[in-house]
Amino acid sequence: MLTRHKGTIGVTLAIVWAIIPLVFPIGDLSIEGRRMLAIFGAAVVLWVTEAIPLYATAVLIILAEIVLVSDEAIVHLSDGFDAPKYASFYGALAHPVLMLFLGGFFLADAAAKYRLDRNLAGVMLRPFGRSPAAILGGLMAITALLSMFMSNTATTAAMMAVVLPVSASLSASDPLRTGLALSIPVAANIGGLGTPVGTPPNAIALGRLADEGIRIDFLTWMALAVPIVIVVLLVAWVLIVRWYPAEADQVDVQIGGAFDRSRPAIVLYATFTVTVSLWMTEPIHGVPSTIVGFVPVVVLLTFGVMDSDDLRNINWHVLWLVGGGIALGTGVSAAGLDVWMVGLVDWSSLPRIGLLFGLVLFSLALSTVISHSAAANLLIPIGVSLATASTIDLDPAMAAVVIAVACSLAMSLPVSTPPNAIAFATGDVATRDLARTGLVLGALGLVLVAFVAPPVWDALGLLP
Amino acid sequence: MNRLAVLIVEDEAEVREALVRDLEPLAGSLQVETADDVVDARAALADIVAGGGRLALVLADHRLPGATGVDFLVELNADPATAATRKVLVTGQADHADTIRAVNEARLDRYIAKPWDPHELISISVAAVTDYIISEGIDPLPYVRDLDGQRLLDYYARRASDR
Repeated sequence: MLTRHKGTIGVTLAIVWAIIPLVFPIGDLSIEGRRMLAIFGAAVVLWVTEAIPLYATAVLIILAEIVLVSDEAIVHLSDGFDAPKYASFYGALAHPVLMLFLGGFFLADAAAKYRLDRNLAGVMLRPFGRSPAAILGGLMAITALLSMFMSNTATTAAMMAVVLPVSASLSASDPLRTGLALSIPVAANIGGLGTPVGTPPNAIALGRLADEGIRIDFLTWMALAVPIVIVVLLVAWVLIVRWYPAEADQVDVQIGGAFDRSRPAIVLYATFTVTVSLWMTEPIHGVPSTIVGFVPVVVLLTFGVMDSDDLRNINWHVLWLVGGGIALGTGVSAAGLDVWMVGLVDWSSLPRIGLLFGLVLFSLALSTVISHSAAANLLIPIGVSLATASTIDLDPAMAAVVIAVACSLAMSLPVSTPPNAIAFATGDVATRDLARTGLVLGALGLVLVAFVAPPVWDALGLLP
Repeated sequence: MNRLAVLIVEDEAEVREALVRDLEPLAGSLQVETADDVVDARAALADIVAGGGRLALVLADHRLPGATGVDFLVELNADPATAATRKVLVTGQADHADTIRAVNEARLDRYIAKPWDPHELISISVAAVTDYIISEGIDPLPYVRDLDGQRLLDYYARRASDR
């Protein structure tokens, strides 16, 4: 009943928000700008309330853009308006950045299918010994590393399945149980921001930037983000070890087993190695990661490593959600809505540092309560427009990256991210545990991303 | 409130209460209902459905006043709404023919002989409801704590995504 009400209210609100700019003139905003404002307003309401599924809002945006502002619009367009081709809006669903992301999905799903993820985790965990603090650190490092290439959610579920029997073997009052159940989602959330394929907000940032003609290669993204991952992860580890001191002297974690040596598994290992190597060496060979990303798709399907069932199981709805966000950014920019919105405020009085602080804080706050991808879909186009406006001394690439990173660092509630929901479901973690860890890490992220990282990136000349 | 239910069909009050007591560890996640004969069981099923729940598991005695436990299981198997419900006989009195009928016509999942071992009862019930959740594509997270969390999370890892 509650969800049905939420649905009705959300949809009604979205319609009202959409109708106002369609009917009433708004300042000097063009008719196309008003139509995009209607689409943007409805998208805000629908992505915040989730009155309809996130991916449904994404496809609704694309259809609305085609009928309202494309060259095939069913309504009259202003004479001087350079309407984007309608195919370009559909094209968002097969944007090159989505092909990179699809390659990541193929590698991750195939790794899970042949249990490469668990087996690698087993090998990597061995050097960490058996002391609780070391094991906790090892689990966090491995979870973060896996979630750079797999979804944060799948990594958390797989690693939590490994941790459950360990927790069950501990005494019911041992705080280590909470520490273990908390460490996995925290590490997965943080790890996801480390590579372009780690989590959807990264793809949304790269997609928007690509449409502005700015390309950030795989290695550059890692150079920007991995130091943040390492610092936040280390602090998270120290916090969890101190807040949840283990009573047990030793813990024994069983992960993985013998590596699969079947032919498809060998093809997967080779494809994984080659793809990741090519992603990391783009500066040498110059083949964009968006093209390399399609290689595993082709190879894994050709050699039967992945079959039609696996193809059906790909999380297409995530790709479409990102595609909807990219299409929204394209439309906002094509209709001139971005310039108009940025012009509403006299930004020149605001120093860059204040602007970065505001963007990061707002991204963190919004992503804590709504989907990370939806938050990135709404905020990245605005951030990039702000940065491209000539009066502001902010690099568009910097704006997009800080927003994407901030969205990933929002994790202080069970609803903030699916990994948190998994931890909560084990019963070993309370909302309070997630809240205090998430708030401290969020505050750390805020300082790092708004104040520390940008000058370092500038000094190292990392941004294009 | 709970969406998945377990139904115990047993005519002897003492035995029924013992089963409920042994299933206590699952009562936090599952709605445990009881019935003393098949007529009562049908009413209990209707109540579960009316409350928005789904019958995940039936633990039925065979010899009951009126229709038998096996009759009820066959009936459940014939109805598409409950065909996937996991079916377990908890009995000492089903003969060879009854048991064959339960396997062939009700697709019996397990047979627990009386007197039962409480640990076996729990482990069979946990495995049965976990199977039901996975085969029916039900969101597994609410059941991770009390059922087979490891299998449920492995299953979740394959279907879940970032959002």
